[in-house]
Amino acid sequence: MLVKLGSSALQGLEGLLVEVEVDSHKGLPGQSIVGLPDAAVRESRDRVRSAIVNSNLEFPPGYFTINLAPGHVRKEGPMYDLPIAIGILSSSEQVSLKLTPDTIFLGELSLNGEIRPISGVLPICFSAGQAGIRRVIVSAENADEAALVPNLEVFPVNNLRETVDFLNGQKNISPHIIDLQALFQSEPEYELDFAEVKGQQHVKRALQIAAAGSHNVLMVGPPGSGKTMLAKRISTILPPLSLEEALEITKLYSVTGLLQGKSSLITRRPFRSPHHTTSDIGIIGGGRMPRPGEVSLAHLGVLFLDEFPEFEREVLEVLRQPLEDGKVTVSRALASITYPAEFMLMAAMNPCPCGNYTDPIRTCTCSPLKVQRYWDKLSGPLLDRIDLHIEVPRLKKEELASQSVNETSKEIRERVIKARRIQEARFAGTSTHSNARMTPPPDQGILPPGGRGGRHLKSGHSAS
Amino acid sequence: MGKMSKDLGNLGEDRACRYLIQKGFSVLERNYHSQQGEIDIIAQDGDFLVFVEVKNYSFRSLTTPLSSLRKNKRQSLIHAAQTYLYKNSIANVNCRFDVLAFYRRLDGSCAADHIKDAFYVG
Repeated sequence: MLVKLGSSALQGLEGLLVEVEVDSHKGLPGQSIVGLPDAAVRESRDRVRSAIVNSNLEFPPGYFTINLAPGHVRKEGPMYDLPIAIGILSSSEQVSLKLTPDTIFLGELSLNGEIRPISGVLPICFSAGQAGIRRVIVSAENADEAALVPNLEVFPVNNLRETVDFLNGQKNISPHIIDLQALFQSEPEYELDFAEVKGQQHVKRALQIAAAGSHNVLMVGPPGSGKTMLAKRISTILPPLSLEEALEITKLYSVTGLLQGKSSLITRRPFRSPHHTTSDIGIIGGGRMPRPGEVSLAHLGVLFLDEFPEFEREVLEVLRQPLEDGKVTVSRALASITYPAEFMLMAAMNPCPCGNYTDPIRTCTCSPLKVQRYWDKLSGPLLDRIDLHIEVPRLKKEELASQSVNETSKEIRERVIKARRIQEARFAGTSTHSNARMTPPPDQGILPPGGRGGRHLKSGHSAS
Repeated sequence: MGKMSKDLGNLGEDRACRYLIQKGFSVLERNYHSQQGEIDIIAQDGDFLVFVEVKNYSFRSLTTPLSSLRKNKRQSLIHAAQTYLYKNSIANVNCRFDVLAFYRRLDGSCAADHIKDAFYVG
């Protein structure tokens, strides 16, 4: 008997509907899975058999051919366990699919029949909703994520037995609903605050300007001057996310599997700070089936690279293209996938290998050649793409000891939000979000250089 | 294979046949050979065609029936089963592989361990 049911494959940030066909015939016992399955999908036959038997259901006799259509798309991951199990049970008429048309099944089975969460539920459900799917049956742990999609009934299930009872109409499961507004309205709370940083008024001002326009920043200063401390507090002054932005980021985290165990929607701008030994693939994204890298995980947030020149040169150079385009296309033999990468780059470095080059008190022990070599790791085109270069000097004893009250992150954020509002009005109707992302031709009419500015530009050009 | 162990094996299979008949199976074939394998007993159990592998263990034995069925042994059993189905033009019948193990106790009595649906083709 032939049974068909719906599931989905993940391709980058898009889901593609997959039809799971289960055909059974009498003969030697066994099963085979076709339709370009990867190792995790092929292993599912062992999980499915154990899960069915351990759920006090009968694993029907005979040979099963399981086809995942369309056959030209590679299927990866364990999310087909649930549809395959339901298909096998349905072919032996232990479960009826009549009550639930237009449904997709997503879930990994554990050997005792429990349904485990999978990654990528949010993008899959979005695409499924657009393709006309009305219902989705997922693990209870994925339900919050799936419920973010409008016009889709989400049925959370904990184990195979429960799913079978639900499909047969013997158990009632009400669709899972989450209050999107409530999720979104809660004011983000941070453990860190700019008020904790003493002195460094000009750096704070620069970071505030950077946050307002989403400009890239390079901070140069001796060790102990507070570069990292300042950088870690940048997310506390960034403007809040809009719903669309939050969903975009959540999709990326869902695909990477970083969402599990956290709240369903990411409402804070991401702050990523990869170590300087990270490879270029780790930064850009890649793998056999390309996955998002750090630049994409920092999308609409901050990518902080501490000890900037310590990164491999290739790693730094691969940053150039996403810095320019705001997206990155990773091509591999299996697929070519474009991930968004509109991030604000924050880099921090010492002025020389010993760190004391610009220090008025301590003496630098580096030879001029050594200092030059240090800076040579950063190419001109890369430094060109960083709008603000800030010097962070070592604080004097009096500044460190002073008890003066500093501005809090909240006060700064209010100014940043005000500046973003102006930019929103300025770029209304264009794809640009911030000053840093202004593109030359269409935006030229927005800020025409005039008077002194115009003369300055002209003199600059004639000099070069 | 020495004469002694062959006799022991036959003895075990006789015992297995008696056991299966007692359980309501009807024995169709004994020691069925294909080029690559041998099936000890082929029997009918209701709607099922059952291929039975018989194992005999002395009380000293440390192995278990399933651990002694390595992949190669399984493959040869599957091959023999396929040959049997093909040669006898049997289609549309549900099949099963069973393992029937006998443990000989010190006093000479036997304990049977019947593992139904012991392994699958793929």
